[in-house]
Formats: sequence, C-alpha cells, structure tokens
Amino acid sequence: MTAAARRRLADATKYIVAGAVAAVAGALVITLMGGDVLSAYRSFLWSSLGTAGGFAQTLNKMCPLLLGGLAVGVARRAGYFNIGVDGQIYAGAIAATGVALALERTATPALAVLVVAVGVIGGGLFAAIPGALRAWWSVNEIFVTVMLNFVAAFLTEYLTTGPWNDVMAGEAITRLIPDAATLPMLSVRAGSHVGIFVALAMAGVVWLLIERTRWGFEVRALGDNARAARVAGIPTARITFAVLIASGALAGLAGAIEVTALHHRLILGLTPGYGVMAILIAVLGQSRPVGILVVSFAMAVLLVGSDSLQRSIGLPASAALVFQALIVLSVLFVDARRTVRPS
Amino acid sequence: VTFFVDPELLRLMLTMAAPLVLAGLGELIMERSGLLNVGVEGMMAVAAAGAFLTMLKTGSLTVAAATAVVAGIALALLLALYAVALASSQLTVGLSIFVLGTGLASLLYRVVIGVTTVTPTTRTLPSLAIPGLAGLPFFGTVLFTQNALVYLALLLVPALAGSLVLTPLGLRLRAAGENPRALDTVGVDVRVLRYGAAAVGGALIGLAGAYLPLAVTGAYSDGMIGGRGWLALMVVIFGRWQPGWALVGALLFAYTEALQFKLALVTKAIPPQVLLMLPYVVAIVVLVRLYRGAEPPRALGQPYRRESRL
Repeated sequence: MTAAARRRLADATKYIVAGAVAAVAGALVITLMGGDVLSAYRSFLWSSLGTAGGFAQTLNKMCPLLLGGLAVGVARRAGYFNIGVDGQIYAGAIAATGVALALERTATPALAVLVVAVGVIGGGLFAAIPGALRAWWSVNEIFVTVMLNFVAAFLTEYLTTGPWNDVMAGEAITRLIPDAATLPMLSVRAGSHVGIFVALAMAGVVWLLIERTRWGFEVRALGDNARAARVAGIPTARITFAVLIASGALAGLAGAIEVTALHHRLILGLTPGYGVMAILIAVLGQSRPVGILVVSFAMAVLLVGSDSLQRSIGLPASAALVFQALIVLSVLFVDARRTVRPS
Repeated sequence: VTFFVDPELLRLMLTMAAPLVLAGLGELIMERSGLLNVGVEGMMAVAAAGAFLTMLKTGSLTVAAATAVVAGIALALLLALYAVALASSQLTVGLSIFVLGTGLASLLYRVVIGVTTVTPTTRTLPSLAIPGLAGLPFFGTVLFTQNALVYLALLLVPALAGSLVLTPLGLRLRAAGENPRALDTVGVDVRVLRYGAAAVGGALIGLAGAYLPLAVTGAYSDGMIGGRGWLALMVVIFGRWQPGWALVGALLFAYTEALQFKLALVTKAIPPQVLLMLPYVVAIVVLVRLYRGAEPPRALGQPYRRESRL
C-alpha cells in the first residue's frame, strides 16, 4: 500500500470509529428513552434521506450549517476561532428583516436581493467588532464573539417581542416580511428552498478566495505562522480584520436566508445553536470547503433524523449536539493516537 | 451616589460573584499547571443540571453539590486526558467539551424531567448570618448574611493565594505551567500534577455550576449559565493569574450584573433586554484593556513531551 492510500484508509477508519461511537451513544439514549433501537435508526435514516420531504428538510438544515461551517473555517485558516456565528446569524437576520419591513410598502425591484445583501453586511459589521479588536488591540476574538452572541440574542428578543412583534401571534416573532423580499422555493411540494444552492456556491467562492488568490495566500500564511507572515511583510492586522468580517458575512448570509427563504420573518430561536455546531463542523472538515461540505451534510442528516426521533420517542433536540460533540472527540482521539505513536 | 453603593446592591454583587470566583479559581489552578480549559461554560452547565436533578430526587443540598463536583471533575479529567496523554490542541478539545456540556446538560434534564408545563423547583441554600458580625451596620448586610458557598469562595481566595506561593505543591504547580521540563528534571511527574490540577479545578468549576440552581434560582433552564463560564476565563486573565486580583475581576463583573437587576427594578424606560445586555457589553469594554501586559504561564496550552528536544 502506498503512503497516500494508507493515510486515506486511516482517515476512513477514523470517521467510522467516530460514527460508531455516536451510534452506540445514540442506542444508549434511545434505550433509556424506552425506544426500540433498530426501528429508531430506521426511521432516523428514512425521515432524513428516504422521502422527498425529509431530504428537503435535510437540505434546508444543511444551508445554515454549511455557511456557518465556512464562516468558522475561513477564520480558522487565519488562525482565529469565531465562536460568534450564532450572534452573526442573528445580526444578519435582524438587518435583513429590518430592511424588508422598512420597504414593505414601496415596490422596490429585486427587493429580495437587496434584503439578503443587507443581511450579509449586517453579519459582517457585527463581526467587524471582534475583527478590529483582534487586529489592532490584540483582544482575544473568542471572548468578544461569545459575549456578542448574548448581545445579539437579547437584541433579537427585544425586536421580536417589542417594536417588530407580530401582535396577533403571541410569540416572540416579528411580522411577516413582504412577498417580494422572500427567496423562491426549490420544490414547493417537498418544501426545500434555494438556500442550499447559495450555500454551495459560497463553498466554491470560499475555496477560490482562500486557495487561489493572493489574499487567500496571505490568510493561510497568517494562520500557519503569524510571526513569519508579519516578517514577510504581510499586513497581518488588515488581513485579520478582513477575514473576521468575511467570516461574519457568511454567517450573516445564513441568517438572511433563514429569514427570507424559510421563516419569512425574524423569530427568537432562529438559530438553535447552528454557530456552535459550525465550530464542530469546521474542526471535522479541517477548515477546508470540501470537508465542511461533506460534514455539514452529515450533520444535517443527524439533525433531521434526531428531529424525527423527537416526534416519535421524545428524544430531546439537544441529543444531536451531544452526538456531534462525541463524534468530534472520537476523531480527535484517533487523530492524537496516530500522532503520538507513529507506526 | 448612595444608589450605586447601596448595601443591598453590594450584597447581591457578592452573591453573584461567588460562581465567578469558584469557577475562576478552578480555571486558575488548571491554567497555572499549564492546562487551558475553554470548556468551563459547558462544564458548569452539566454541573448545574446534575446538581438540580439530584436535588430534586434526593432533597439533599450536600448530595446535589457533590454530584456537580463529580461531574466537573469528570469533564476536567476528560480534557486533561486529551491535553496530557494525547497532546491534542487544548483549544479544540475545550471547545468540544463546551459543546458536549451544553448539549448534555439539556439532554439530562429532558430525559429525567420530560416535557412539562410546570417547571419543577427546589428549595435553595439558606443564607447564613454569622453571629456577632451580621449585626454590623453596612458590612453586616453586605458580607455576613450570605450563603455558605459565598463564604467558601471568599475564603478560598487567600487559601489558594497562600498555597500557590508558600507550599511546595504550589511551587510545583506553578513550575508545571512555567517550565515543565525543569520540574521533570528534578523528578516530579508533570502529568500527575496536571491531572491533579484538572481534578481540583474541575471540582471548583462543578461547584460553580451547582451554585446557580442550588443557591440562586432553585430551578434549571437551558442557557442558565449565561456566559459565566466564559467570564470565569476572563476573570483569570483580569487577575493576571493571581487569586486576589481574580477576585477583583469577579466582583467587577458581578457588580454590573447586580446593577442591571437593580436598574430593571427602578426603571421602566429602558427595555429589560437592553439592560440584560449590559454585563456582556461591559465585559467587552473590559476585554480591551485586559490584555495589556498580561503574561500567561509560559507553558499554558502546550503539551509536555518528555522525549522532545529542547
């Protein structure tokens, strides 16, 4: 066997081990909940992949996960951890909803495009805060992004219950945005929207930017060795600022799509921890667009499948988060064993 | 002025500072040994859920706190296993433990409680008036009518500060974080020290997580840790890895939290959500100054490899 083939085999083993750990943990929880493991797993796969509606659900979930994963991944390539994707999703969603509601009565051409663009800017601006603090004040971006998650969540709570509240609904949701501001469906019957294509396109854009442009080279140089990058004359502060804005913009796009394509309004709980999952997705996907693409699909299957088990045996939604974390810890375990003891 | 130094306000500040002090000291012990634990938030969440559920089932505050301590130790040792034995990236493992803890806490609660319309509640830790001192004007209210965990947290600060500087174990712990090779050279096992630091630190972090349901709310809700785990990490940096200064940082964050409660009571003009943002915004403002001149333990976050060359 060649070295490359051996590495690929080892990689495959790694993910099989991780999947097995998650499956065993799943079986344990399902048994605890008093469900039948085999039928639960059958309905898990059937509900997420077996039907057109289920597959549409999976694609819809994959959209924010892929965009969020890309957001974390881009920052990680420059050596930074963006833990604030949830906050930036909210920021994008808030900005998008705000514009859509403000232009409710004016016949603006291509309103949906404008609304999504504003969402992207909203996410980018929100991430500009940790970006600037990191670039020019060396403030750790992890803390700032985490703190801003809370700020964004409270702002969303204020807007959805206060000024933008849908009085008829009696929930923390805003009024519906105008039809002109919504994105089209992919299949009305299955219920999938075009967001997944936007997300896939962004995976391509990110790959091009990072792997094929001078800017991307500078980002990678910064991530590989910040000191060497600075010595080599790369404007590290500017790159840091820009890369965190790009990261936030991707998250903002995810938020804007959730508003314009899925909910057609801003809701509290718009992101049930997509940003947290995005960290794991980026780690598992090794911050590469292709890896993130594959992992976010798998995680979407996991989310939709767990969701069906929530309906049938009452499996809590948080179980998916636990399984995801177990998968990452298993992969890290196998990875570490390989580097600690080279054969 | 009396509004801002009102004894009731300062009393609330100390009550809210206790979890930050406990978790901060736990994290400080771990970081001093060279272990960076960014999973505090998740560890506290599991401890909070574990403590509350145990309290609900047994009715014993002691057993509930012990459960939280065990949960904290278990997760901290898991982190140490990756950091010490497997030499993984402590940042990545810590974040995974943050996610794992966040999910696990919610999962545990739902599996045990199920879906209910009424949130179950328990009694909370009573306040303990110190005889002779509780009657003092001002200080009696602020300092001497707190619950037992507040006293414990406050006493731990000088105890830890003293043992770090004065005891051989404290010296070894600091050496493990500054220069593990030197420690290894004189025949002290770095791994044992780091596992030990993780166990002690995890216990304190677990206690901090238990504090919220057991001493404050008497109930559990998802997200109840509310960033306090992350604040504990900042408290350590704020304190320049010294227990005494970490206490000052904890008091500062706790003060903004207490002030926000008080403002919410007296004013209706500002929406409550805007007030709730206040502690987090203050934390970001504090962060800007936090890093100036901060020098972490030199081996922080780095695995110690005995066989590696210098």
